[in-house]
Amino acid sequence: MSRNTENVVLFLLGMCTAAIVVTGTFTRYVKPTLMPWLAMTAVLLVVLALSAAIRDVRARGGHGDDADHRDADIEHAHRSGVVWLLVLPVALLGFVVPPALGARATEPAVTDLPRLVMLRPFPPLPADRAPELPLPEVVVRVNRDSAYTLQGRLITVTGFTIKEGGEVDLGRVVIICCAADGQLSRLHLRGPAAATAATYPEETWVRVEGIVVPKPSDMAGLSTPTMTVSAVTPIEAPQNPYAY
Amino acid sequence: MTVAGRTRPRFAGPMQLLFAGLIGLALFAGTIRAFMVGRPDLAKAATVFCGVFVQALPFLAFGVVISGLIATYVSPDRVARWLPRRTGAAILTAGVGGAALPGCECGAVPVARRLFGDGPSSDRQGAAALTFMLAAPAINPVVLVSTAVAFPGEPAMVGARFTASLLTAVAMGAIWSRWGRADWITRRLPRSPHSGGSKWTVFSEAARHDFLQAASYLVLGAATAAALNVLMPPSVYEHLAGQLLLGILTMAVLAFVLALCSEADAFVAASLTMLPLLPRLVFLVVGPAVDAKLFAMQAGVFGRPFATRFAPATFVVATVVATVVGLFFLGGAR
Repeated sequence: MSRNTENVVLFLLGMCTAAIVVTGTFTRYVKPTLMPWLAMTAVLLVVLALSAAIRDVRARGGHGDDADHRDADIEHAHRSGVVWLLVLPVALLGFVVPPALGARATEPAVTDLPRLVMLRPFPPLPADRAPELPLPEVVVRVNRDSAYTLQGRLITVTGFTIKEGGEVDLGRVVIICCAADGQLSRLHLRGPAAATAATYPEETWVRVEGIVVPKPSDMAGLSTPTMTVSAVTPIEAPQNPYAY
Repeated sequence: MTVAGRTRPRFAGPMQLLFAGLIGLALFAGTIRAFMVGRPDLAKAATVFCGVFVQALPFLAFGVVISGLIATYVSPDRVARWLPRRTGAAILTAGVGGAALPGCECGAVPVARRLFGDGPSSDRQGAAALTFMLAAPAINPVVLVSTAVAFPGEPAMVGARFTASLLTAVAMGAIWSRWGRADWITRRLPRSPHSGGSKWTVFSEAARHDFLQAASYLVLGAATAAALNVLMPPSVYEHLAGQLLLGILTMAVLAFVLALCSEADAFVAASLTMLPLLPRLVFLVVGPAVDAKLFAMQAGVFGRPFATRFAPATFVVATVVATVVGLFFLGGAR
């Protein structure tokens, strides 16, 4: 690949990085907290590409046309074909933009993530009628909360539907660092409104209201909690597809 | 235009090829996206690839800024002057010095290449640079804190990780200074075409070069990780619960395959509670030292003859050291 083409690829990669930051699609791949760093990276790549291009034009004494041929005199340090590989992330990030991980991509379900937390009293929920909780936190509280803060409380949880043999689960993919470590966190939906949820297609984003069935006290280890659902509302896919 | 053989016909120059490819992509991106919808595995591989690549990108950018600064301000003989005279002391200094660079492994590779230098670099300097490369991503404060957070009930894990990673890095430095050969380093640092230029020119040329090299190989590594991530059945973990030796080996291989960032791997290891602590420690020590993306990046930055020897050796040393340190710190299989 010629030096000029390398500059174009570098420039494109910088622009694609900027694009996924501006459009917010980067949250499909990494955590939102990476945003400022990605933005700085985009600026760095564009600046490196532009300054190299400007320098080459100057070095040629201003007539920079016919560049692919003429750059022979700007030493081929090691011009290798391997830089062509960078076209792959440009294609994926700039054009294809692969979707966020869904239920099928993370199956079979792993609900082990909450095991990180030891048994302890959790802070009480907000006093609202049905406070919104992240799905993984519900799983953690059911299994690890010695203060039983979820007992008898109406809560709101957001996730996508997962259908299995006539029953419906609510799922949310949890990522720790990036999409490579995505794991599925889930709740069984039961009760009056669960039938409504079952009518939606697989992986419909919904907001559900309900009460979590307490874990039997004799049960050791982790369990997938069950929620008695009183209301189900389909919603738009959230800006941040994952829980963290 | 001096050599006739060098000129290519205009219609097939790389720039034209690139733009033809981009136009093709713009036209068919929708088709590719639709194609993925029916194939969850392919979509997952693409997403995981983007995850690994995008996650590594800022760290790599940070790394090439450092390596650009080294190219601008730190000449190889200055590094040589800073290092202690005795090889052993130089390696130890580099290992402990690794703790000062908070970043993950992708950034450390180009930095180590710059420190390695190209001149008739002494064994001492090469060994120190490699030790630094292995130590920096594994024992910096960010990684140690995240390990402590991930294993709330197991403070020994942090000490074990620090010790095992530092020992691995120092051991590899010593092995390099004993058996390493300079002719395995087939990739040279570029002599800048603008070597007489300003500091900005030297800096930006070095950063540009290092980024292009390392990022290209990062693509290779991220693609490998994505493919293996999809092909590896998740049930693998479940069969390992009772078997310590098999567990250790599998976690070492898994660390290589998954190519996780060293600042996050502790949380993944913590979540694999069906395994004893020892195999999980192995996972944490092997991962930042050698994995699919690092192997590819080392091949790109140092050269293939180097990577095909250094990476397997690192893998073995890291696995053994982590096992021994784990037995000592964690008291066997718990």
